[in-house]
Amino acid sequence: MKRRKFIQLSATFAALAPLAYSCKQQHKPIAGSIIGASSNIGHLIRNGKFDAPIVTAVVDVAIVGGGISGLSAARWLLKNGISDFTVLDLEKKMGGNAAYGQNDVSAYPWGAHYVPIPNEGLNEYNDFLVECGVVTGFDDKGLPILNEFYLCQDPQERLFINGQWQDGLIPHFGVPEKDKKEIQQFLHIMQEYRLAKGKDGKDAFAIPIDSSSNDVDFTNLDTMSMKDWLFSKQLKSAYLHWYVNYCTRDDFGTPYNIVSAWAGIHYFAGRKGKAANADYHDVLTWPNGNGWLSEQLQNPLQQHLQNNALVIKVFEKENKVVIHYFDVNTKQVKAIQANHCIMATPQFVNNRLLVDNTERKEIVHKELSYAPWMVANIIVGKLTDKTGAPLSWDNVLYESKSLGYVTATHQLLQQNKTINNLTYYLPLNELQPTDARRDAQKMSHADWVNLILEDLKKVHPNIEKVVSNIDVMIWGHAMAQPVSGIIHGGVRKKLQASIGNIHFAHTDLAGISIFEEAFYQGINAAKKVIATKN
Amino acid sequence: MQVKSNSAQLILLVAVFVIATCGLIYELVAGTLASYLLGDSITQFSIIIGVYLFSMGVGSYFSKFFNNSLLSWFIRIELLVGLVGGFSASVLFVVFPIASSFKPILYAFVFTTGMLVGLEIPLLMRILQDKVEFKELVSRVFTFDYIGALLASLIFPLLLVPYLGLIRTSLFFGILNIFVGLYLLKKFRKEIKSAKSIQLVAIVILLAELATFALSESLMSWSETLAYNDHIVYSTSTPYQRIVLTRNRKELRLYLNNNLQFSSADEYRYHEALVHPAMSACDQPKHILVLGGGDGLAVKEILKYPSVETVTLVDLDPAMTKLFSTQEVLVTQNNHSLTNSKVKITNGDAFVWLRDNHQQFDCAIVDFPDPSNFAVGKLYTTAFYQLLKKALKPEAVAVIQSTSPFAAPKSFWCVSETLQSVGFIATAYHNYVPSFGEWGYVMASQKKYSIPDTFQIPLKYLSKTVMQQMLNFPEDMKAHEPLAINRLNNQALVNYFEEEWGKYLEQ
Repeated sequence: MKRRKFIQLSATFAALAPLAYSCKQQHKPIAGSIIGASSNIGHLIRNGKFDAPIVTAVVDVAIVGGGISGLSAARWLLKNGISDFTVLDLEKKMGGNAAYGQNDVSAYPWGAHYVPIPNEGLNEYNDFLVECGVVTGFDDKGLPILNEFYLCQDPQERLFINGQWQDGLIPHFGVPEKDKKEIQQFLHIMQEYRLAKGKDGKDAFAIPIDSSSNDVDFTNLDTMSMKDWLFSKQLKSAYLHWYVNYCTRDDFGTPYNIVSAWAGIHYFAGRKGKAANADYHDVLTWPNGNGWLSEQLQNPLQQHLQNNALVIKVFEKENKVVIHYFDVNTKQVKAIQANHCIMATPQFVNNRLLVDNTERKEIVHKELSYAPWMVANIIVGKLTDKTGAPLSWDNVLYESKSLGYVTATHQLLQQNKTINNLTYYLPLNELQPTDARRDAQKMSHADWVNLILEDLKKVHPNIEKVVSNIDVMIWGHAMAQPVSGIIHGGVRKKLQASIGNIHFAHTDLAGISIFEEAFYQGINAAKKVIATKN
Repeated sequence: MQVKSNSAQLILLVAVFVIATCGLIYELVAGTLASYLLGDSITQFSIIIGVYLFSMGVGSYFSKFFNNSLLSWFIRIELLVGLVGGFSASVLFVVFPIASSFKPILYAFVFTTGMLVGLEIPLLMRILQDKVEFKELVSRVFTFDYIGALLASLIFPLLLVPYLGLIRTSLFFGILNIFVGLYLLKKFRKEIKSAKSIQLVAIVILLAELATFALSESLMSWSETLAYNDHIVYSTSTPYQRIVLTRNRKELRLYLNNNLQFSSADEYRYHEALVHPAMSACDQPKHILVLGGGDGLAVKEILKYPSVETVTLVDLDPAMTKLFSTQEVLVTQNNHSLTNSKVKITNGDAFVWLRDNHQQFDCAIVDFPDPSNFAVGKLYTTAFYQLLKKALKPEAVAVIQSTSPFAAPKSFWCVSETLQSVGFIATAYHNYVPSFGEWGYVMASQKKYSIPDTFQIPLKYLSKTVMQQMLNFPEDMKAHEPLAINRLNNQALVNYFEEEWGKYLEQ
């Protein structure tokens, strides 16, 4: 955790705010607002005192949290004949980080927006993809045939570098030969790791993470940062360092100088999916991002889902689990008595909800940190563009603090898209998470708009003229940061253990926040419940 | 006193320099413009230089008729040069498509500018004659004159044309002339009668030129005649494309986004080859689908079959189908096909339409623009062809216009491979369309294609023998390498197309 202090040095984020203020006059006011992930309601737990519950319902299983972990747990229960359960979530819509919005133009993601090609051997996950029509069949070799409408269409990615848009995100345009060589060297090592197996015969880097090899040759990588690892391999190219840092910020919201080398390498080596019509570097995506997958999970669960339910307390009582929640609609506190509870909530929230368990709480407090993000949806007309590769699904600016933007309208089949939704991602990782969160809360809508436009003006000089709306979402705790020691330091194992009939399912227990991890976190927790029944 | 007259001399000599530069620039603008618009640059430049020098001589001759208030006249002429020269390129661009006799206007401009410039030098020499010794005067004036000419001839091709373009170059120098005029007015205010009214005129001209300069971008795009060899008879911009119709003595041509769609001289070759092999391979086709083809020319061919009951045409651009349903010249071309009662027009995106469609057709004619960008490239993918397959009855035949197998063999055969990959039997063929060159088509069906003994419709081009030839591909129209299947997630076709057609566009 001490490594986090490194980032305190780079207080650039603090410099962003005054910069934004100084530019304020340059822009016409742009419509839109800051949309919180219900942090106001969420913070009631931290601050509020609640009355005693007025009613108590009884269910077999209560699932707290309707993100992908919770929904996947619910799906698994239903598939295994357990139907007496309820999923509680404080948001108006289920989905967690797979949240999405919808406007006149199209649906668009507010968070997670793609999944890679599924790795082989993930039977449960593949079944789910067959169920929802992502996998339409299998070829002679048994490889899945993926639905073409969900595979990311070409052109997929472009990078603005050295004054031009290049195809793909790995820097090559205007990059010196020496650097290109180092990048190739790096990719070669990643390919070796992709195929590597540990002494126990397991993949060195697998999805879900818990099925990876325990071979210390690989797990030792968790003790150093990704940046240190690059230097240890004599890889010094600034272009390569930018690229790797971009990747870890993109997937983990965490810069490469603090992210664990094991997690950093996992980003490249963990994906090894093959399909009849796609390869491991392809992705599946939808206009509403992973919101589409979340909807597929929710469809058969409708009657079990309870939104606007802020869980405030979870405790064991006489071999049962009691859940108190605040019904945001009726402004009443209610209780549920369950045989089992699956807490599909992040551990920092569980720290507030669980009554005792001081030791567990201390571990969470000491070991886990959560990256804040800003995500904005930008409605734009026809943009002027720099030369090179055309508008793609993912559009990244070299050396920008942002991760660029994803074109939400990319997957639509229409020829002429005169208006587009661009989803802009900015991990707030230049300060310690708590400070970054505090500073982010101080920024006004106009400040964010200025910051975004200043960034995108470099590639779209006319953006101010053609932008019609910018909505901003602040994710205070978007994802757990896989800093050194989290993956293989034993922390996760301790926190994954059930407490009586309270089970845990969340990607912060997996270490990295990706759809497949959430999916298996849910299944594993559900399996624990099912095991007690047999 | 000596000092003052020295400075006045210098100012006037600088004026000579500017005049010389501007004069030659206007001449170069006219020459370049004429060779752009009329072609044959040697003739154009030669005539323009001749007319220009001659008119300068005419101007010099007339200079003797100016006797009083020479400085005032000099300034007025300077302003006139600024006005005529400055607006020359703008006016010539604008009148080119509308004026029936462009050349007289062009030469009138060249002559006027030349004459005015020709007036200026003698006038200036006379203004300065009392102030400077004659041999000094001649030496200085001509030195500045020729240096100005050298400067103009260097900056014109190196800086002005590439960075400013013709319209803005002429405006820029017009503005320069006006500034010189205004400066001289200010400097010699006491020696000039009615300085105020001249100043007012100068400012008005200056503002007009500045405004035109600011608007030159849209002026340029409006007068896009540069791209076309023939007269433009109609042009419009829709949200989807730029539609331009040109005509010369032989033919009418339609361009969409500067790409030739058809020429009335040989469109029958293209449309007969596109429509009849597929239509004649169907037994009594009743319900026909046309995707793209908003010009109605494919529909015209389809309606020749008495068995046809309905034609469903899906075209993106309502302006296009409206134009070809109503415009007199155009409905003569397509024989009023789009207003035929059997024809139902839907304006929408073909991909989206096909996804939502439940009807099945006997024959489909797919006539999209070439896959030159990712948006159009989608309409040639496996995903699209799978939807197309669902919209066809099992015995139906579809045909895809598939670019030139000579210019772009990989692109052409990629379409064929892609159709095969979704389970069609692909039958490739090609023919020669003079205005396009060698052109290719691919039929897609469930059963093997066989040439019919006769095409029952009376045709100008197609016959059994011709069809046999069309199915035969010489070596230089084959791909000679394994080709990728065009999918939404690789858009292989667009890359082939860029690689192959790019070579032609660079020239």
